[in-house]
Amino acid sequence: MLAKFFHRARPHGSKKDGYRAVPDEIKKQRRLYYIVIAIIALAFIATTVNTSFNPFIIFFNMENFIAFIVNDMIPPNFGRAVGLWDSLIQTISMAFLATFVGGIISFCLCFLASFQTSPSSVVVRLVRGLASLQRNVPTIIWLFIFRMTFGIGITIGFVALLFNTVGFLTRMFAEVVDEVGNESMEALDSTGSAYLPKLAQCVIPAAIPGFVSWLLFSVEINIRSAGIVGAMGGGGIGMLLMGHLNAFRYRTAFAFILVLAAVIIIIGVITDYLRERVLSK
Amino acid sequence: MDSATGTSNVLLSVKNLSKHYGSTKAVDDVSFDIKKGEIVTIIGRSGAGKSTVMRCVNRLVHSSGGKITFDNVDMASRMPGKTLRKTRSNIGFVFQHFNLVYRLTVFQNVMHGRLGHMSTFDATLGRYSESDKERAFEILSSLGLEEQIYKRASDLSGGQKQRVGIARALMQEPSLLMCDEPIASLDPVTSRTIMDIIVDQAKKRGIACIINLHQVDFAKEYSTRILGMRAGKLVFDDLPELLTKEKIDDVYGVSALEEGERAYAVGMEAMAVVG
Repeated sequence: MLAKFFHRARPHGSKKDGYRAVPDEIKKQRRLYYIVIAIIALAFIATTVNTSFNPFIIFFNMENFIAFIVNDMIPPNFGRAVGLWDSLIQTISMAFLATFVGGIISFCLCFLASFQTSPSSVVVRLVRGLASLQRNVPTIIWLFIFRMTFGIGITIGFVALLFNTVGFLTRMFAEVVDEVGNESMEALDSTGSAYLPKLAQCVIPAAIPGFVSWLLFSVEINIRSAGIVGAMGGGGIGMLLMGHLNAFRYRTAFAFILVLAAVIIIIGVITDYLRERVLSK
Repeated sequence: MDSATGTSNVLLSVKNLSKHYGSTKAVDDVSFDIKKGEIVTIIGRSGAGKSTVMRCVNRLVHSSGGKITFDNVDMASRMPGKTLRKTRSNIGFVFQHFNLVYRLTVFQNVMHGRLGHMSTFDATLGRYSESDKERAFEILSSLGLEEQIYKRASDLSGGQKQRVGIARALMQEPSLLMCDEPIASLDPVTSRTIMDIIVDQAKKRGIACIINLHQVDFAKEYSTRILGMRAGKLVFDDLPELLTKEKIDDVYGVSALEEGERAYAVGMEAMAVVG
């Protein structure tokens, strides 16, 4: 693949019209842009007609929206929000535990999923394929599958989060290992080092900032999904919130929403700050 | 070889070595011996195959044909991983781009030179022996790095990084030291310091040395023997004083176009093989 690219990029190729090749390329590219834009516009019109969706409805119904919030949701009723703090701690624990356990599993898998360190390219494709499957099927789908087999509760919420975390972190960790670069590994090979010492003394020390950064990012993602997963039957604060919404206790629900949003924002800010610190090292 | 020393002193013997990438011959039927205590430089244009020869010797690159005898092991043949690692641990390698682990300290990088001599368990956990640590201090101070021992490798200058690379190779206590264009990324003054260090240390410790160089004047000054390579073939193998102007032209004299096309073809084939 790379060879082909270089062949094209070669300045004195065998093409007779070497100098005209570049403008032609640009023309082709421009035509491609026009086609893509046209397709997007057509698709928008077709789907709007099909669903008889009016994109301006949000603005027309703005008063209803505001009225609902002002009349039904404000002020938040913390008095009736029983179990708010307990369930919040459950949700946070679920997210942290999924990240922690997922991190350990991904740490072991990522060396098999990186072309630099894997024993064979077949293993790389196998592990990466598995990780993609885990990552690309949304957490909610995993949750539904587990809910049908194990029933509702915090355990299936945790397992659903874990599945996505392993898929995501294995892929990202493998990319970190790929970026460590062949050079220092080659040096350790030349000293006669075996495989495990090479990982322990060269690859892991070089990859640690990347690992920690993705782990922190994963905490942020998992806190956010833990709320939604909970609402769909995964336990924790999301499940209580859903219960209040379904019972039309909007003021109580609003208390839950406020707390959940605050926690998500706070944890996001903290992990962002820590990531910056880690990556600058 | 018309040298006075007997064949029993031969440390490394390369016979009819070749390396193909597809139909391109990067190394073509190269034979030479290295004896104990020799300082041999290999000169030649980029893409002439100097680096490939070195990498075949410690099997970072698998050769396509020929025989490479070192420590009674044929490095050109398949062998158990343990034999390969044991033989490699006896060959020091210094890289053009230093190839350090830049997040680790100078000391930790130098200790990597011991990994090949330790059990896998100890090496994985980094349990180096006290005598090894003392030797690392000794080597680092003899290379003038005592101030930098606990600095991160990334905080060093180019010349200091290369000295760490040399220290790591010396930690292996090798009988052969191979330096692949050790000064190509350094300024002229630092280059001289590094060449002095390599040759001094090799002589002091009785290590035979192979150095790939671009600078003919350095090669003539430092080596006891010079090999010249052109287009994958060995075209000169003799004493430095016999490397006359004509011989230099012979080594470097291939027309620029021809050599450039060849280096390009080698690169293309290498990429096609890698993926």
